[in-house]
Amino acid sequence: MKKLMTSQELARDGRFKRVPVQARALDRRMSPKEKDAAAGKKIAPRNQFSPEHPDAPDRARSLMHGIFVGEIQALEGAGRTCWDFEAGDGTNGTVPFALKLDMARQCWDEARHCEISVKLSEHMGTEIGEFGESAFLFEAACNPDPILRLAGVNRALEGLAIDVFNTMKMFGDTSGDPVLEFCEDWMLADEVTHVKMGSDWLRKGTENDPERRNRALEFQKVVDKLFSGGGFRGDDDASPIKLARRFRELAGFDKTEIDEIAHLSQEALEEARARVGGAYGS
Amino acid sequence: MADPKKPRAAFAPWDRRELPGSFSVEETARKVGNYKWIEMKLFEALGGWVATVPELDVKMRLGTHCYHHAWHAELWHKRLPELREMNPDRLTKPANDDIVAFVDAMTEPEAPELTIEKLVGVYRVLIPHKIAAYTYHLNNTSSITDAPTQRSLRFILQDEYDDWRDGEMLIQSLLETEEEVQRAARHQAKLESLMIKAGGIAGPGSIGPVPATAGEAVA
Repeated sequence: MKKLMTSQELARDGRFKRVPVQARALDRRMSPKEKDAAAGKKIAPRNQFSPEHPDAPDRARSLMHGIFVGEIQALEGAGRTCWDFEAGDGTNGTVPFALKLDMARQCWDEARHCEISVKLSEHMGTEIGEFGESAFLFEAACNPDPILRLAGVNRALEGLAIDVFNTMKMFGDTSGDPVLEFCEDWMLADEVTHVKMGSDWLRKGTENDPERRNRALEFQKVVDKLFSGGGFRGDDDASPIKLARRFRELAGFDKTEIDEIAHLSQEALEEARARVGGAYGS
Repeated sequence: MADPKKPRAAFAPWDRRELPGSFSVEETARKVGNYKWIEMKLFEALGGWVATVPELDVKMRLGTHCYHHAWHAELWHKRLPELREMNPDRLTKPANDDIVAFVDAMTEPEAPELTIEKLVGVYRVLIPHKIAAYTYHLNNTSSITDAPTQRSLRFILQDEYDDWRDGEMLIQSLLETEEEVQRAARHQAKLESLMIKAGGIAGPGSIGPVPATAGEAVA
């Protein structure tokens, strides 16, 4: 088995439909605003991901499917990090033995998240393949530098998972779905652990290499901005996915870093508004 | 109330543990280093294969088992300094070149249609050999002087039995045609031959004393 595979090589059964990340974002069941914008209609103001919204069932099912495929790719990415790098002192393409153990632990956690997501998807009335799968998470997990890989996956994307799970947990609470709330809370605990792994290894792995640390943080920033998804994740109460500041702090982010993610999300929102010619609600 | 002054035997009547064991500290450290090496190779391979198997249930099982073997590697890593090997990396090595050849052959299958070969290598060859070697070690080391190794072996063996059963059931559920049965058998025979050459996961002596050579027997 070779080292460093690409996202095109990910093995899937016939139910899965691979789509580019843009197509996933423009799935009309997922993004009514984009649909209205395409039809030239004035778009309603952004609103929080709440059970009262008429699109809430579709949005929740779509988000659940997105979480499920994200969990598969997170499992695959952590597994590849176990395989792609030899154990060593962290130089010359090696990674410390303890980092590999962390990635193996993450494999188990992500495998359980897949199991939880499959069962929750059934619980919420969707099924595997109802929505498309973009390989964006695994693409970040293909970075040949293990520290950049962890910055992109564990800090940026698993950080996004903290925000998403926290939002879904609150959605479960407000919609009166204790099963959803229970499961999201458990997955949230694991995600905080995974983000902390990323924060710890970023610090340890670049202790004497500020240039590598800068490259890792820059890569994380690119991934963070790319998946701020038109500003759908943000700091204000109107954001569909709310930045989970407290959990991010537990995972090793400092206030400046969280402020920066909020700023990137705001930028992504402004850019999305500009793209749809001012039709995007404020 | 029990009389606090009444002498009692150090070993209760039902405690049949004995002092003698078959392995010295050095021999135990060598074996533990070999065990850590093979557990590492196994968890790395299982992690790498996750992305290459299309079957969802297999994908998730491999991810779970990946951690089990990483944990075993960690247990052995921690045991080495307790066996006077302060640099665990020094003894983290294959028993011989033949076990390296076995691991290379086991990890060769990559394409998504080769799930049977991937599973057969792990669950019909490597894990049964691990269970054999660990059982031999468990039953032949001193249950008093080497109790920490025994404790790890018991935890590890429980995982191995569970994973073996999981893997075997996955294989049985994937084998649907005569051709697939033959594929599985051919691959198993190929890997089994390599493992025999290696003498087991810790080299010759993995599941019993190495027979003396003719020259040694005469001497």
